[in-house]
Amino acid sequence: MPDAGDSTVADDSDEALIGRYARGDAAAFELLYHRHELRVWRYLQRNLRDAATAEELMQEVWFAVARDARRYLPSARFTTWLFTIAHNRMIDSIRAHRRHLSLESLGLDSDAAIDQLSADPGTGPVAAAVARDEAAALIRAVEELPREQREAFLLQVEGDLDIEEIARITGSSFETTKSRLRYARTKLRQMLKEYA
Amino acid sequence: MTPDLDEIYRRASARDTSRPSEAVRRRVLEHAAAVAAGPQRPTANRARWRPAIFGTLAAAALAGLLIVPRVFNPQPFSESADTAAPAQVPPLAAPPLAGAPPGAGPGAGAPPLADSAPMNSAPAPFPPPQAAARSRAIAPAQGQTSASRDDVQATQRTAEASRSSASRLKAEDPSDAAAQPGAMAQPDAAAQPGAMAQLGAATPPGLVPRPGLVGGHPAASAEPASPPADPSAALRRAAETGDVERLRTILSSPVLVDAPNAHGQTALLLAASRGQAESVDLLLAHGADPNAADADGTTPLNAALAVDRPAIVAALRRAGAR
Repeated sequence: MPDAGDSTVADDSDEALIGRYARGDAAAFELLYHRHELRVWRYLQRNLRDAATAEELMQEVWFAVARDARRYLPSARFTTWLFTIAHNRMIDSIRAHRRHLSLESLGLDSDAAIDQLSADPGTGPVAAAVARDEAAALIRAVEELPREQREAFLLQVEGDLDIEEIARITGSSFETTKSRLRYARTKLRQMLKEYA
Repeated sequence: MTPDLDEIYRRASARDTSRPSEAVRRRVLEHAAAVAAGPQRPTANRARWRPAIFGTLAAAALAGLLIVPRVFNPQPFSESADTAAPAQVPPLAAPPLAGAPPGAGPGAGAPPLADSAPMNSAPAPFPPPQAAARSRAIAPAQGQTSASRDDVQATQRTAEASRSSASRLKAEDPSDAAAQPGAMAQPDAAAQPGAMAQLGAATPPGLVPRPGLVGGHPAASAEPASPPADPSAALRRAAETGDVERLRTILSSPVLVDAPNAHGQTALLLAASRGQAESVDLLLAHGADPNAADADGTTPLNAALAVDRPAIVAALRRAGAR
């Protein structure tokens, strides 16, 4: 239970809040949830492009945060921990729903493999033909990025994570992660140029 | 180029109205409240086993009482066979089991599986890449099993916790707390001087009073005996949680209405992002800057659009929000 006088405050850091929650302060969790709800949601929803599955995973991710709060290591940033859970849940879900795809075959440990994925016909030209404005077109373009590039980009912009952290979470090398981000950004900038 | 792309993405995200359903939010918060009451878990387990332990001891004592007199006062074999046997058998079997819960066995006193191995479902903050990949490889089988078991236990506790949580939410916001994204039941930090001392540390130094500085009412004398150390932090908190009464009280004293937190968020931006229409109206009436953006460049108008609150959007636009 929270200590007397140890009240949760809105300006507390994420790390302080998860610590307070681990000591039984449920209000600290609520603050954390509201602070990161949309970022986690956008990461899941834009990666999966399936609101129902994203909702299911959203719940699982935050249940896991609640359950394992006491095991959170203060030396790590909360967002790194949070997005690690979100990423792993998402990978588990993809594995469960798309067993016919070999994720290892899409491991992409080289730039050549990334080139191959970049040329994936499924991504198509991000002409944003149906997008009515630049913002909508960009979101659509993000959703159409190859999976690894999309994950890396969303971890960077939604999780506010650096390349090293993204590499750890996705189980990739630093250079591969850097390449994925470079390809993602190049593609998105190209789309914006075409749109303009 | 890169900053432009990030900026456009943030603007796009602010306009994206997609968000998880209210049901998910409610379930998560109720579950978290139930887990927060976790220390009761081991107690509950001990309580379930207490009858079995006492039953066993009582049975052993009864058996002892029946057997010991016969040891010291032996009787003919034929008589003891008729009288002692019934007395010995029940203590060995029936009484201990009568008080035990269904499914009780030799190992049932151990803590739940999920308590002992939860890391399968949630990784360490910085797992090495190879270890992370390995843990993902085994996670679907082990992790989900332990996770779901733990979730079920927590969900059982949730049934009780949710009732108190729901009533707490309603007490905070009688209009319909559950329907508002930012409506949260939180301890009233503004009333605690210790908490305000911490809040003060988060306020950026060098703030210059702006036209948004309000207050100085005679009503300020009616403030509590120990006012918060940092009124602007209390202001942001009241605005964010929709505590209009407190907000009104704070605004009646001198306070920088646009003082930002460590993320550059003003009270108005927090209120708008949480859909607190009354807070927004009150802050605007007290001169809050409708265009004060946070460190990410999100304005109150962006935030209101993001949470789909047309009334707040209209109020901000009337106040000159761009």
